[in-house]
Amino acid sequence: MKDFDLESLSREMPYRMPEHFMDNMTERVMSQIGKERKQHRERRIVALFASAASVAAVALLFLHPFGGGLDIPDYDSISQCASVDDLFQNMTADELGMYSMMSNYYGN
Amino acid sequence: MKRDQKDIVNSQGSLSVSDESIARLLCDDSHVEEAMRLIMKKYGEQLYWHIRRMVVAHDDAEDCLQETMINVYKYRSTYSNEYPLSSWLYKIATNESLKLLKNKAGFTMSVDDLGDSLKDSVREEASPDADETLILLQEAIALLPAKQKMVFNLRYYDDKSYEEIHQIVGDSVNTLKTNYHYAVQKIKDYILEHQL
Repeated sequence: MKDFDLESLSREMPYRMPEHFMDNMTERVMSQIGKERKQHRERRIVALFASAASVAAVALLFLHPFGGGLDIPDYDSISQCASVDDLFQNMTADELGMYSMMSNYYGN
Repeated sequence: MKRDQKDIVNSQGSLSVSDESIARLLCDDSHVEEAMRLIMKKYGEQLYWHIRRMVVAHDDAEDCLQETMINVYKYRSTYSNEYPLSSWLYKIATNESLKLLKNKAGFTMSVDDLGDSLKDSVREEASPDADETLILLQEAIALLPAKQKMVFNLRYYDDKSYEEIHQIVGDSVNTLKTNYHYAVQKIKDYILEHQL
């Protein structure tokens, strides 16, 4: 049977690589890497802000659990304040004078 | 860059940077771009031809090489000094080539079913003045199953030892030897059958 000696063949390829292909490829790869690095930096900044916001939210929750510690006036007392204001606005001069005298008398 | 003792100046006077130096730069974020340029300079062409022998068409080899280099950059932290840098690079290039062939094969075919279309591409891609025996050799390689093709190319063209091929492909040395043996036999048969 006939045999064929592979080792006697040239290692050359029957194809050609286009001129300047490697230089162009290097620049393309470097530009792509530049984009990747920029995206990575942006992602790191977003992650940093997100973690800072999380820490702030946890700290707020720890200092004022369920908002119980905040002195926010309730709706009823605000309505009451408004109605007292209305009362004063509707008083006549005599009534106001009487109120002032009585306040001084009772020390209020 | 700090020069390593293993970095040598070749006969043309240009600096040949050792793989150890490149690997060190690659792991250092402030020198990673320099490392990538050095890899392209030292291994770009070898990787291009390794990929081209697998995928045949230049356009596919171009896409694969670009993806390979991007993956080298992305996964640089996974590189371990236990293996030579070149084996790691070849491994990524091989995986990218297989990924491209799998995409071409789609869901209904396997990579090994692409043999005939790859063989047809060999003649289309060959330069007009190419030696007929070299075209036949590439056709025979195109028809091989992917694993045999990888092992044959790495041993025959890249002069890799079985130990290095093991680092790239992952199979045992004995399996690789068997793959190489079958590949050589099939290639010889094809060339003898088709040679004028």
